[in-house]
Amino acid sequence: MEYVNQDFKKVYWNPYFGGLMLGLLIIATFYITGRGVGATGGTKSTVVATVNAVAPEYAEESDFYSKYLDEDQNPMKNWLVFETLGIIIGAFISGSIKGRVSFKTEHSPKITANKRLVFALLGGLLFGIGSQFARGCTSGAALSGSAVLSLGGFITMLGIFGTAYLFAYFFRKLWI
Amino acid sequence: MGPLTFNDIISTEWNYVIALIIGMAFGYILEASGFSSSRKLIGVFYGYDFVVLRVFFTAVSVAMIGLLYLDYFGFLNFSQLYVLPTYLNAQILGAIIMGFGFLLGGFCPGTSLTALAIGKIDGWVFTAGIWLGIFIFSEAFPLIEDFYNSGYLGYVTLMDQFGVSPYVVAFVFALVAVSAFTVASIVRRRVKDVQY
Amino acid sequence: MKKRYIILAIVFLGIAAGLLTLPATVEKTPVTPTELLMDIHSNNRFINSDQLAKRIIDGDPVLFLVDVRDKAEYDKYTLPGAINIPFDQLLNDDWRGYLNQNVNDIVFFSNDDVLAEQAWVLCKQLGFKHLYVLDGGLNYWFETIMQPKMPKATEPTEAFDLYTFREGASIYFGAGSVAVPVPAEPKPKPQVKKTIPVQKKVKASAEGGC
Repeated sequence: MEYVNQDFKKVYWNPYFGGLMLGLLIIATFYITGRGVGATGGTKSTVVATVNAVAPEYAEESDFYSKYLDEDQNPMKNWLVFETLGIIIGAFISGSIKGRVSFKTEHSPKITANKRLVFALLGGLLFGIGSQFARGCTSGAALSGSAVLSLGGFITMLGIFGTAYLFAYFFRKLWI
Repeated sequence: MGPLTFNDIISTEWNYVIALIIGMAFGYILEASGFSSSRKLIGVFYGYDFVVLRVFFTAVSVAMIGLLYLDYFGFLNFSQLYVLPTYLNAQILGAIIMGFGFLLGGFCPGTSLTALAIGKIDGWVFTAGIWLGIFIFSEAFPLIEDFYNSGYLGYVTLMDQFGVSPYVVAFVFALVAVSAFTVASIVRRRVKDVQY
Repeated sequence: MKKRYIILAIVFLGIAAGLLTLPATVEKTPVTPTELLMDIHSNNRFINSDQLAKRIIDGDPVLFLVDVRDKAEYDKYTLPGAINIPFDQLLNDDWRGYLNQNVNDIVFFSNDDVLAEQAWVLCKQLGFKHLYVLDGGLNYWFETIMQPKMPKATEPTEAFDLYTFREGASIYFGAGSVAVPVPAEPKPKPQVKKTIPVQKKVKASAEGGC
Protein backbone atom coordinates (compact mmCIF):
# COMPACT_ATOMS: atom_id res chain seq x y z
CA MET A 1 0.00 0.00 0.00
CA GLU A 2 2.75 2.43 0.88
CA TYR A 3 5.45 0.99 -1.34
CA VAL A 4 5.68 2.65 -4.68
CA ASN A 5 7.88 -0.11 -6.06
CA GLN A 6 8.75 -3.55 -4.82
CA ASP A 7 12.50 -3.07 -4.68
CA PHE A 8 13.65 -4.72 -1.46
CA LYS A 9 15.69 -1.68 -0.60
CA LYS A 10 12.59 0.42 -0.50
CA VAL A 11 10.73 -1.83 1.88
CA TYR A 12 10.14 0.25 4.94
CA TRP A 13 8.20 -0.35 8.10
CA ASN A 14 4.50 0.28 8.14
CA PRO A 15 4.35 3.94 9.24
CA TYR A 16 1.87 3.31 12.03
CA PHE A 17 4.12 0.63 13.38
CA GLY A 18 7.04 3.00 13.14
CA GLY A 19 5.03 5.65 14.90
CA LEU A 20 4.07 3.22 17.63
CA MET A 21 7.70 2.24 18.14
CA LEU A 22 8.77 5.84 18.20
CA GLY A 23 6.04 6.70 20.68
CA LEU A 24 7.10 3.86 22.95
CA LEU A 25 10.69 5.01 22.68
CA ILE A 26 9.72 8.51 23.72
CA ILE A 27 7.83 7.11 26.70
CA ALA A 28 10.84 5.03 27.66
CA THR A 29 13.16 7.99 27.27
CA PHE A 30 11.04 10.16 29.50
CA TYR A 31 10.57 7.37 31.98
CA ILE A 32 14.26 6.69 32.28
CA THR A 33 15.76 10.12 31.97
CA GLY A 34 12.98 12.63 32.41
CA ARG A 35 13.84 14.36 29.16
CA GLY A 36 12.99 13.80 25.55
CA VAL A 37 15.20 13.26 22.53
CA GLY A 38 16.85 15.92 20.44
CA ALA A 39 18.74 16.22 17.20
CA THR A 40 20.37 19.63 17.05
CA GLY A 41 21.95 19.62 20.49
CA GLY A 42 24.79 17.40 19.38
CA THR A 43 25.66 19.65 16.47
CA LYS A 44 25.46 22.68 18.70
CA SER A 45 27.95 21.13 21.09
CA THR A 46 30.25 20.57 18.14
CA VAL A 47 30.03 24.23 17.24
CA VAL A 48 30.76 25.29 20.80
CA ALA A 49 33.67 22.89 21.06
CA THR A 50 35.14 24.05 17.77
CA VAL A 51 34.92 27.72 18.65
CA ASN A 52 36.36 26.99 22.03
CA ALA A 53 39.27 25.10 20.51
CA VAL A 54 40.03 27.78 17.96
CA ALA A 55 39.50 30.88 20.06
CA PRO A 56 38.97 30.10 23.73
CA GLU A 57 39.05 33.63 25.07
CA TYR A 58 36.50 34.77 22.54
CA ALA A 59 34.27 31.92 23.54
CA GLU A 60 34.53 32.83 27.20
CA GLU A 61 33.50 36.39 26.52
CA SER A 62 30.55 35.68 24.32
CA ASP A 63 27.11 35.49 25.89
CA PHE A 64 26.19 32.55 23.78
CA TYR A 65 29.14 30.20 24.10
CA SER A 66 29.99 30.88 27.69
CA LYS A 67 26.72 29.33 28.77
CA TYR A 68 27.84 25.97 27.47
CA LEU A 69 31.42 26.08 28.60
CA ASP A 70 32.13 24.60 31.95
CA GLU A 71 35.57 24.98 33.53
CA ASP A 72 36.70 21.42 33.58
CA GLN A 73 34.25 19.70 31.36
CA ASN A 74 34.54 19.18 27.65
CA PRO A 75 31.51 20.73 25.96
CA MET A 76 31.20 17.56 23.96
CA LYS A 77 30.55 15.54 27.08
CA ASN A 78 26.89 16.07 26.87
CA TRP A 79 23.77 13.87 26.83
CA LEU A 80 22.73 15.04 23.40
CA VAL A 81 26.12 14.38 21.84
CA PHE A 82 25.97 10.75 22.86
CA GLU A 83 22.39 10.51 21.75
CA THR A 84 23.29 12.00 18.36
CA LEU A 85 26.08 9.48 17.98
CA GLY A 86 23.56 6.80 18.78
CA ILE A 87 21.20 8.05 16.07
CA ILE A 88 23.91 7.74 13.48
CA ILE A 89 24.88 4.27 14.62
CA GLY A 90 21.31 3.05 14.83
CA ALA A 91 20.40 4.41 11.44
CA PHE A 92 23.50 2.84 9.95
CA ILE A 93 22.56 -0.54 11.37
CA SER A 94 19.06 -0.30 10.02
CA GLY A 95 20.29 0.84 6.64
CA SER A 96 22.89 -1.89 6.36
CA ILE A 97 20.41 -4.62 7.15
CA LYS A 98 18.25 -3.50 4.27
CA GLY A 99 21.17 -2.78 1.99
CA ARG A 100 20.42 0.90 1.77
CA VAL A 101 23.91 2.13 2.50
CA SER A 102 25.56 3.80 -0.45
CA PHE A 103 26.98 7.17 -1.37
CA LYS A 104 24.55 9.09 -3.46
CA THR A 105 22.68 12.31 -3.67
CA GLU A 106 18.98 11.81 -3.74
CA HIS A 107 17.23 14.35 -5.87
CA SER A 108 14.23 14.85 -8.02
CA PRO A 109 14.88 14.03 -11.67
CA LYS A 110 13.77 17.56 -12.53
CA ILE A 111 16.87 19.16 -10.98
CA THR A 112 20.56 18.34 -10.95
CA ALA A 113 22.40 16.76 -8.06
CA ASN A 114 24.42 19.88 -7.48
CA LYS A 115 21.36 22.04 -7.28
CA ARG A 116 19.99 19.63 -4.71
CA LEU A 117 23.12 19.93 -2.65
CA VAL A 118 23.00 23.71 -2.73
CA PHE A 119 19.45 23.68 -1.47
CA ALA A 120 20.31 21.08 1.13
CA LEU A 121 22.95 23.42 2.46
CA LEU A 122 20.50 26.31 2.51
CA GLY A 123 17.89 24.19 4.20
CA GLY A 124 20.36 23.10 6.83
CA LEU A 125 21.40 26.68 7.41
CA LEU A 126 17.84 27.74 8.01
CA PHE A 127 17.24 24.82 10.31
CA GLY A 128 20.35 25.62 12.27
CA ILE A 129 19.22 29.19 12.81
CA GLY A 130 15.58 28.35 13.36
CA SER A 131 16.21 25.58 15.84
CA GLN A 132 18.17 27.92 18.07
CA PHE A 133 15.35 30.41 18.18
CA ALA A 134 12.80 27.74 18.89
CA ARG A 135 14.91 25.88 21.43
CA GLY A 136 14.40 22.71 19.53
CA CYS A 137 13.78 21.15 16.17
CA THR A 138 11.15 18.70 15.04
CA SER A 139 12.53 15.95 17.25
CA GLY A 140 13.27 17.92 20.36
CA ALA A 141 10.51 20.47 20.36
CA ALA A 142 7.74 19.13 18.22
CA LEU A 143 8.05 15.46 19.09
CA SER A 144 9.27 15.38 22.68
CA GLY A 145 7.84 18.74 23.59
CA SER A 146 4.35 17.89 22.43
CA ALA A 147 4.48 14.51 24.12
CA VAL A 148 4.57 16.28 27.45
CA LEU A 149 1.97 18.75 26.29
CA SER A 150 4.27 21.74 26.45
CA LEU A 151 3.02 24.92 24.85
CA GLY A 152 6.34 25.61 23.15
CA GLY A 153 6.32 22.17 21.59
CA PHE A 154 2.92 22.64 20.04
CA ILE A 155 3.73 26.11 18.79
CA THR A 156 6.90 24.86 17.13
CA MET A 157 5.20 21.83 15.60
CA LEU A 158 2.31 23.83 14.19
CA GLY A 159 4.70 26.54 13.02
CA ILE A 160 6.97 24.21 11.11
CA PHE A 161 4.32 22.15 9.42
CA GLY A 162 1.99 25.07 8.91
CA THR A 163 4.64 27.17 7.23
CA ALA A 164 5.81 24.28 5.10
CA TYR A 165 2.28 23.52 3.92
CA LEU A 166 1.59 27.13 3.15
CA PHE A 167 4.66 27.61 1.01
CA ALA A 168 5.11 24.12 -0.45
CA TYR A 169 3.55 25.22 -3.71
CA PHE A 170 6.35 27.70 -4.37
CA PHE A 171 9.05 25.10 -4.03
CA ARG A 172 7.41 22.33 -5.94
CA LYS A 173 9.91 22.54 -8.76
CA LEU A 174 12.54 21.20 -6.42
CA TRP A 175 10.69 18.03 -5.68
CA ILE A 176 8.05 16.97 -8.18
CA MET B 1 8.96 5.69 40.14
CA GLY B 2 9.97 7.49 37.02
CA PRO B 3 11.80 9.46 35.79
CA LEU B 4 14.41 7.01 36.97
CA THR B 5 17.62 9.00 36.82
CA PHE B 6 15.96 12.02 38.32
CA ASN B 7 14.83 10.01 41.31
CA ASP B 8 18.18 8.30 41.63
CA ILE B 9 16.90 4.88 40.82
CA ILE B 10 19.51 4.72 38.10
CA SER B 11 22.74 6.47 38.87
CA THR B 12 23.88 9.31 36.68
CA GLU B 13 26.98 7.53 35.45
CA TRP B 14 24.72 5.51 33.21
CA ASN B 15 23.36 8.66 31.63
CA TYR B 16 25.64 8.66 28.63
CA VAL B 17 25.29 4.96 27.99
CA ILE B 18 21.53 5.37 28.12
CA ALA B 19 21.76 8.34 25.78
CA LEU B 20 23.68 6.24 23.30
CA ILE B 21 21.22 3.37 23.43
CA ILE B 22 18.21 5.62 23.12
CA GLY B 23 19.84 7.37 20.22
CA MET B 24 20.48 4.06 18.53
CA ALA B 25 16.88 3.01 18.89
CA PHE B 26 15.77 6.41 17.63
CA GLY B 27 18.03 6.24 14.60
CA TYR B 28 16.99 2.70 13.85
CA ILE B 29 13.29 3.46 13.99
CA LEU B 30 13.64 6.57 11.88
CA GLU B 31 15.67 4.87 9.21
CA ALA B 32 13.51 1.78 9.15
CA SER B 33 10.45 3.96 8.63
CA GLY B 34 12.04 5.53 5.64
CA PHE B 35 13.06 8.85 7.03
CA SER B 36 16.48 8.72 5.47
CA SER B 37 15.06 9.59 2.09
CA SER B 38 14.41 13.26 1.52
CA ARG B 39 12.00 12.67 -1.33
CA LYS B 40 9.98 10.38 0.85
CA LEU B 41 9.87 12.96 3.60
CA ILE B 42 8.83 15.85 1.43
CA GLY B 43 5.96 13.79 0.07
CA VAL B 44 3.84 14.88 2.99
CA PHE B 45 3.67 18.39 1.61
CA TYR B 46 2.89 17.33 -1.94
CA GLY B 47 0.52 14.53 -1.19
CA TYR B 48 2.35 11.55 -2.56
CA ASP B 49 3.70 10.08 0.66
CA PHE B 50 2.31 10.80 4.08
CA VAL B 51 4.79 8.80 6.08
CA VAL B 52 5.89 11.87 8.06
CA LEU B 53 2.35 12.64 9.14
CA ARG B 54 1.54 9.08 10.08
CA VAL B 55 4.68 8.36 12.02
CA PHE B 56 4.81 11.73 13.72
CA PHE B 57 1.24 11.99 14.86
CA THR B 58 1.14 8.38 15.95
CA ALA B 59 4.33 8.81 17.92
CA VAL B 60 3.22 11.99 19.68
CA SER B 61 -0.19 10.56 20.42
CA VAL B 62 1.13 7.26 21.74
CA ALA B 63 3.69 9.05 23.85
CA MET B 64 1.13 11.45 25.31
CA ILE B 65 -1.31 8.71 26.18
CA GLY B 66 1.40 6.44 27.54
CA LEU B 67 2.93 9.11 29.74
CA LEU B 68 -0.42 10.15 31.11
CA TYR B 69 -1.38 6.60 31.98
CA LEU B 70 1.98 5.99 33.62
CA ASP B 71 1.55 9.16 35.61
CA TYR B 72 -1.96 8.21 36.69
CA PHE B 73 -0.89 4.79 37.90
CA GLY B 74 1.97 6.28 39.82
CA PHE B 75 4.86 4.91 37.77
CA LEU B 76 5.93 8.31 36.66
CA ASN B 77 5.84 11.79 38.05
CA PHE B 78 4.63 13.88 35.17
CA SER B 79 5.56 17.15 36.81
CA GLN B 80 9.21 16.11 36.91
CA LEU B 81 9.48 15.73 33.16
CA TYR B 82 11.28 18.31 31.13
CA VAL B 83 8.86 20.76 29.62
CA LEU B 84 10.05 22.98 26.81
CA PRO B 85 10.12 26.64 27.81
CA THR B 86 7.85 28.90 25.84
CA TYR B 87 9.34 31.92 24.14
CA LEU B 88 6.42 33.02 22.05
CA ASN B 89 8.04 35.37 19.54
CA ALA B 90 11.29 33.52 19.21
CA GLN B 91 9.66 30.15 18.77
CA ILE B 92 7.21 31.32 16.16
CA LEU B 93 10.01 32.88 14.16
CA GLY B 94 12.15 29.80 14.62
CA ALA B 95 9.35 27.55 13.47
CA ILE B 96 8.72 29.62 10.37
CA ILE B 97 12.40 29.56 9.49
CA MET B 98 12.50 25.84 10.03
CA GLY B 99 9.43 25.36 7.85
CA PHE B 100 11.30 26.97 4.98
CA GLY B 101 14.34 24.95 5.84
CA PHE B 102 12.31 21.80 5.51
CA LEU B 103 10.98 22.78 2.11
CA LEU B 104 14.38 23.76 0.78
CA GLY B 105 16.43 21.01 2.30
CA GLY B 106 13.98 18.18 2.50
CA PHE B 107 15.22 17.11 5.89
CA CYS B 108 14.89 17.93 9.51
CA PRO B 109 17.90 17.55 11.79
CA GLY B 110 17.03 14.08 13.06
CA THR B 111 16.36 12.68 9.63
CA SER B 112 19.42 14.31 8.15
CA LEU B 113 21.46 12.33 10.65
CA THR B 114 19.87 9.11 9.48
CA ALA B 115 20.55 10.05 5.86
CA LEU B 116 24.11 10.88 6.81
CA ALA B 117 24.48 7.48 8.39
CA ILE B 118 23.58 5.63 5.22
CA GLY B 119 25.83 7.70 3.04
CA LYS B 120 23.44 10.16 1.50
CA ILE B 121 25.47 13.12 0.40
CA ASP B 122 22.56 15.49 0.67
CA GLY B 123 22.27 14.36 4.28
CA TRP B 124 25.91 15.25 4.88
CA VAL B 125 25.49 18.63 3.29
CA PHE B 126 22.33 19.33 5.25
CA THR B 127 24.05 18.50 8.52
CA ALA B 128 26.95 20.73 7.53
CA GLY B 129 24.36 23.39 6.87
CA ILE B 130 22.96 22.98 10.36
CA TRP B 131 26.45 23.40 11.78
CA LEU B 132 26.92 26.58 9.79
CA GLY B 133 23.50 27.82 10.72
CA ILE B 134 24.19 27.41 14.43
CA PHE B 135 27.54 29.08 13.95
CA ILE B 136 26.00 32.04 12.18
CA PHE B 137 23.38 32.28 14.87
CA SER B 138 25.92 32.29 17.63
CA GLU B 139 28.05 34.90 15.94
CA ALA B 140 25.06 37.10 15.41
CA PHE B 141 23.86 36.40 18.92
CA PRO B 142 24.60 39.81 20.46
CA LEU B 143 22.36 41.40 17.87
CA ILE B 144 19.45 39.02 18.25
CA GLU B 145 19.78 38.22 21.91
CA ASP B 146 16.83 40.35 22.90
CA PHE B 147 14.53 38.83 20.40
CA TYR B 148 15.83 35.39 21.32
CA ASN B 149 14.57 35.92 24.84
CA SER B 150 11.33 37.63 24.00
CA GLY B 151 7.89 36.36 24.72
CA TYR B 152 8.98 34.24 27.65
CA LEU B 153 6.07 32.58 29.35
CA GLY B 154 7.90 30.06 31.41
CA TYR B 155 7.98 26.31 31.25
CA VAL B 156 4.33 26.17 30.42
CA THR B 157 2.22 23.26 29.44
CA LEU B 158 -1.07 23.43 27.68
CA MET B 159 -2.72 22.69 30.99
CA ASP B 160 -1.08 25.68 32.63
CA GLN B 161 -1.86 28.03 29.79
CA PHE B 162 -5.41 27.11 28.91
CA GLY B 163 -6.56 25.32 32.00
CA VAL B 164 -7.63 22.20 30.14
CA SER B 165 -7.26 18.73 31.49
CA PRO B 166 -4.35 16.84 29.94
CA TYR B 167 -6.58 13.85 29.35
CA VAL B 168 -8.89 15.91 27.18
CA VAL B 169 -5.96 17.22 25.18
CA ALA B 170 -4.62 13.72 24.65
CA PHE B 171 -7.98 12.43 23.52
CA VAL B 172 -8.62 15.34 21.20
CA PHE B 173 -5.17 14.94 19.75
CA ALA B 174 -5.81 11.25 19.13
CA LEU B 175 -9.02 12.16 17.35
CA VAL B 176 -7.26 14.77 15.26
CA ALA B 177 -4.54 12.25 14.41
CA VAL B 178 -6.96 9.59 13.24
CA SER B 179 -8.90 12.13 11.17
CA ALA B 180 -5.67 13.36 9.64
CA PHE B 181 -4.74 9.80 8.68
CA THR B 182 -8.08 9.29 7.00
CA VAL B 183 -7.80 12.50 5.03
CA ALA B 184 -4.24 11.60 4.13
CA SER B 185 -5.31 8.26 2.71
CA ILE B 186 -7.97 9.92 0.63
CA VAL B 187 -5.58 12.50 -0.71
CA ARG B 188 -2.94 9.88 -1.37
CA ARG B 189 -5.24 7.94 -3.58
CA ARG B 190 -5.98 10.92 -5.74
CA VAL B 191 -2.44 12.19 -6.15
CA LYS B 192 -0.26 11.08 -8.99
CA ASP B 193 2.31 8.46 -8.05
CA VAL B 194 5.86 9.61 -7.74
CA GLN B 195 8.74 7.20 -8.25
CA TYR B 196 11.58 7.77 -5.86
CA MET C 1 -9.88 1.64 3.76
CA LYS C 2 -8.55 -1.65 5.03
CA LYS C 3 -10.55 -3.22 7.76
CA ARG C 4 -7.64 -3.79 10.09
CA TYR C 5 -6.82 -0.11 10.13
CA ILE C 6 -10.34 0.69 11.12
CA ILE C 7 -10.11 -1.77 13.98
CA LEU C 8 -6.73 -0.38 15.00
CA ALA C 9 -8.09 3.14 14.92
CA ILE C 10 -11.01 2.17 17.11
CA VAL C 11 -8.76 0.41 19.61
CA PHE C 12 -6.47 3.39 19.67
CA LEU C 13 -9.26 5.88 20.21
CA GLY C 14 -10.67 3.60 22.85
CA ILE C 15 -7.45 3.71 24.82
CA ALA C 16 -7.31 7.46 24.42
CA ALA C 17 -10.90 7.75 25.56
CA GLY C 18 -10.00 5.69 28.60
CA LEU C 19 -8.01 8.68 29.73
CA LEU C 20 -11.16 10.74 29.88
CA THR C 21 -12.65 8.36 32.39
CA LEU C 22 -9.83 8.90 34.83
CA PRO C 23 -10.61 11.22 37.71
CA ALA C 24 -9.04 14.62 37.31
CA THR C 25 -6.16 14.25 39.71
CA VAL C 26 -5.72 11.64 42.35
CA GLU C 27 -4.88 14.32 44.88
CA LYS C 28 -8.20 16.03 44.57
CA THR C 29 -10.17 13.26 46.26
CA PRO C 30 -11.40 14.89 49.47
CA VAL C 31 -10.52 13.30 52.76
CA THR C 32 -13.62 11.68 54.17
CA PRO C 33 -14.57 12.29 57.81
CA THR C 34 -13.95 8.65 58.65
CA GLU C 35 -10.44 8.77 57.24
CA LEU C 36 -9.79 11.96 59.11
CA LEU C 37 -10.97 10.49 62.39
CA MET C 38 -8.88 7.42 61.86
CA ASP C 39 -5.84 9.53 61.18
CA ILE C 40 -6.46 11.58 64.30
CA HIS C 41 -6.89 8.44 66.28
CA SER C 42 -3.77 6.78 65.01
CA ASN C 43 -1.34 9.34 66.41
CA ASN C 44 1.01 8.72 63.51
CA ARG C 45 1.31 12.41 63.06
CA PHE C 46 3.28 13.02 66.20
CA ILE C 47 6.97 13.51 66.17
CA ASN C 48 8.53 13.94 69.55
CA SER C 49 11.17 16.45 70.41
CA ASP C 50 14.03 13.93 70.48
CA GLN C 51 13.21 12.71 66.99
CA LEU C 52 12.92 16.24 65.75
CA ALA C 53 16.17 17.30 67.35
CA LYS C 54 17.94 14.39 65.75
CA ARG C 55 16.55 15.20 62.34
CA ILE C 56 17.53 18.84 62.60
CA ILE C 57 21.03 17.97 63.73
CA ASP C 58 21.38 15.40 60.97
CA GLY C 59 20.35 18.02 58.46
CA ASP C 60 17.47 16.01 57.07
CA PRO C 61 16.82 17.63 53.70
CA VAL C 62 13.13 16.88 53.57
CA LEU C 63 12.38 18.31 56.99
CA PHE C 64 10.27 21.42 56.76
CA LEU C 65 9.31 23.22 59.98
CA VAL C 66 6.29 25.45 60.15
CA ASP C 67 5.76 27.72 63.14
CA VAL C 68 2.04 28.41 63.33
CA ARG C 69 2.19 31.03 66.08
CA ASP C 70 1.99 34.69 65.26
CA LYS C 71 4.91 36.72 63.99
CA ALA C 72 5.84 38.31 67.30
CA GLU C 73 6.38 34.99 68.96
CA TYR C 74 8.18 33.65 65.90
CA ASP C 75 10.60 36.55 65.99
CA LYS C 76 11.30 36.05 69.66
CA TYR C 77 12.27 32.44 69.35
CA THR C 78 11.72 29.66 66.88
CA LEU C 79 13.28 26.42 65.82
CA PRO C 80 16.17 26.63 63.35
CA GLY C 81 15.07 26.64 59.75
CA ALA C 82 11.40 27.12 60.54
CA ILE C 83 9.20 29.39 58.51
CA ASN C 84 6.35 31.31 60.03
CA ILE C 85 2.84 30.71 58.78
CA PRO C 86 0.55 32.24 61.40
CA PHE C 87 -2.45 30.06 61.96
CA ASP C 88 -4.93 32.50 60.54
CA GLN C 89 -2.96 32.75 57.31
CA LEU C 90 -2.62 29.03 56.77
CA LEU C 91 -5.09 28.92 53.96
CA ASN C 92 -3.66 31.84 52.04
CA ASP C 93 -2.62 31.12 48.49
CA ASP C 94 0.93 32.28 49.18
CA TRP C 95 1.59 29.34 51.43
CA ARG C 96 -0.25 26.82 49.35
CA GLY C 97 2.84 25.86 47.42
CA TYR C 98 4.72 25.11 50.62
CA LEU C 99 1.98 23.09 52.19
CA ASN C 100 0.49 21.14 49.31
CA GLN C 101 3.39 19.08 48.11
CA ASN C 102 4.83 15.62 48.03
CA VAL C 103 8.48 16.11 48.75
CA ASN C 104 8.98 17.43 52.27
CA ASP C 105 7.78 16.34 55.67
CA ILE C 106 6.00 19.31 57.18
CA VAL C 107 6.13 19.57 60.98
CA PHE C 108 3.72 22.01 62.55
CA PHE C 109 4.62 23.35 65.94
CA SER C 110 3.35 25.95 68.40
CA ASN C 111 3.81 26.58 72.09
CA ASP C 112 1.90 23.57 73.19
CA ASP C 113 0.53 21.38 70.48
CA VAL C 114 -3.04 22.59 70.38
CA LEU C 115 -2.57 25.18 67.64
CA ALA C 116 -0.30 22.89 65.69
CA GLU C 117 -2.89 20.15 65.91
CA GLN C 118 -5.54 22.45 64.56
CA ALA C 119 -3.27 23.38 61.71
CA TRP C 120 -2.70 19.73 61.05
CA VAL C 121 -6.39 18.89 60.91
CA LEU C 122 -7.08 21.83 58.64
CA CYS C 123 -4.43 20.87 56.15
CA LYS C 124 -5.18 17.18 56.38
CA GLN C 125 -8.75 17.84 55.48
CA LEU C 126 -7.63 19.60 52.33
CA GLY C 127 -5.88 16.44 51.34
CA PHE C 128 -2.32 17.60 51.92
CA LYS C 129 0.18 14.92 52.68
CA HIS C 130 3.27 14.39 54.83
CA LEU C 131 2.01 16.46 57.74
CA TYR C 132 3.25 16.09 61.29
CA VAL C 133 2.86 17.73 64.67
CA LEU C 134 5.56 18.35 67.23
CA ASP C 135 4.35 16.48 70.26
CA GLY C 136 4.06 18.83 73.22
CA GLY C 137 5.09 21.81 71.17
CA LEU C 138 7.82 24.23 72.13
CA ASN C 139 7.01 23.92 75.80
CA TYR C 140 7.92 20.29 75.84
CA TRP C 141 10.87 21.05 73.57
CA PHE C 142 12.28 23.34 76.24
CA GLU C 143 11.74 20.81 78.96
CA THR C 144 13.40 18.00 77.15
CA ILE C 145 15.96 19.36 74.72
CA MET C 146 16.87 22.77 75.95
CA GLN C 147 16.78 22.03 79.64
CA PRO C 148 17.13 18.31 79.92
CA LYS C 149 16.69 16.86 83.34
CA MET C 150 19.39 14.66 84.72
CA PRO C 151 17.84 11.24 85.26
CA LYS C 152 17.82 9.77 88.72
CA ALA C 153 20.42 7.16 89.50
CA THR C 154 17.80 4.43 89.55
CA GLU C 155 16.78 4.93 85.99
CA PRO C 156 17.86 2.58 83.20
CA THR C 157 20.83 3.32 80.93
CA GLU C 158 18.61 4.38 78.06
CA ALA C 159 17.48 7.28 80.15
CA PHE C 160 21.10 8.34 80.58
CA ASP C 161 21.79 7.93 76.89
CA LEU C 162 18.78 10.05 76.17
CA TYR C 163 19.99 12.65 78.59
CA THR C 164 23.39 12.78 76.95
CA PHE C 165 21.80 13.17 73.59
CA ARG C 166 19.58 15.94 74.86
CA GLU C 167 22.47 17.73 76.45
CA GLY C 168 24.36 17.66 73.19
CA ALA C 169 21.28 18.83 71.39
CA SER C 170 20.72 21.69 73.75
CA ILE C 171 24.23 22.94 73.14
CA TYR C 172 23.67 22.60 69.43
CA PHE C 173 20.50 24.62 69.65
CA GLY C 174 22.17 27.39 71.55
CA ALA C 175 21.12 26.86 75.10
CA GLY C 176 23.83 27.27 77.70
CA SER C 177 24.31 24.05 79.61
CA VAL C 178 22.80 25.81 82.59
CA ALA C 179 20.36 28.32 81.39
CA VAL C 180 17.09 29.61 80.39
CA PRO C 181 17.07 29.33 76.67
CA VAL C 182 15.13 32.45 75.82
CA PRO C 183 17.83 34.87 74.79
CA ALA C 184 17.69 38.54 75.58
CA GLU C 185 17.81 39.62 72.01
CA PRO C 186 15.71 37.85 69.43
CA LYS C 187 17.39 34.91 67.82
CA PRO C 188 18.61 35.67 64.32
CA LYS C 189 15.80 34.77 62.04
CA PRO C 190 16.65 31.48 60.38
CA GLN C 191 16.59 31.57 56.62
CA VAL C 192 14.32 29.23 54.78
CA LYS C 193 17.15 27.07 53.68
CA LYS C 194 15.86 24.57 51.21
CA THR C 195 14.68 25.09 47.71
CA ILE C 196 11.08 24.22 48.04
CA PRO C 197 9.72 22.53 44.96
CA VAL C 198 6.64 24.59 44.34
CA GLN C 199 4.02 23.01 42.15
CA LYS C 200 4.97 25.16 39.19
CA LYS C 201 7.35 23.66 36.73
CA VAL C 202 10.04 26.23 37.30
CA LYS C 203 12.10 23.93 39.46
CA ALA C 204 12.23 20.28 40.36
CA SER C 205 12.11 19.03 36.85
CA ALA C 206 14.69 17.23 34.80
CA GLU C 207 17.08 19.08 32.57
CA GLY C 208 16.58 18.74 28.92
CA GLY C 209 16.56 20.52 25.61
CA CYS C 210 17.53 19.99 22.06
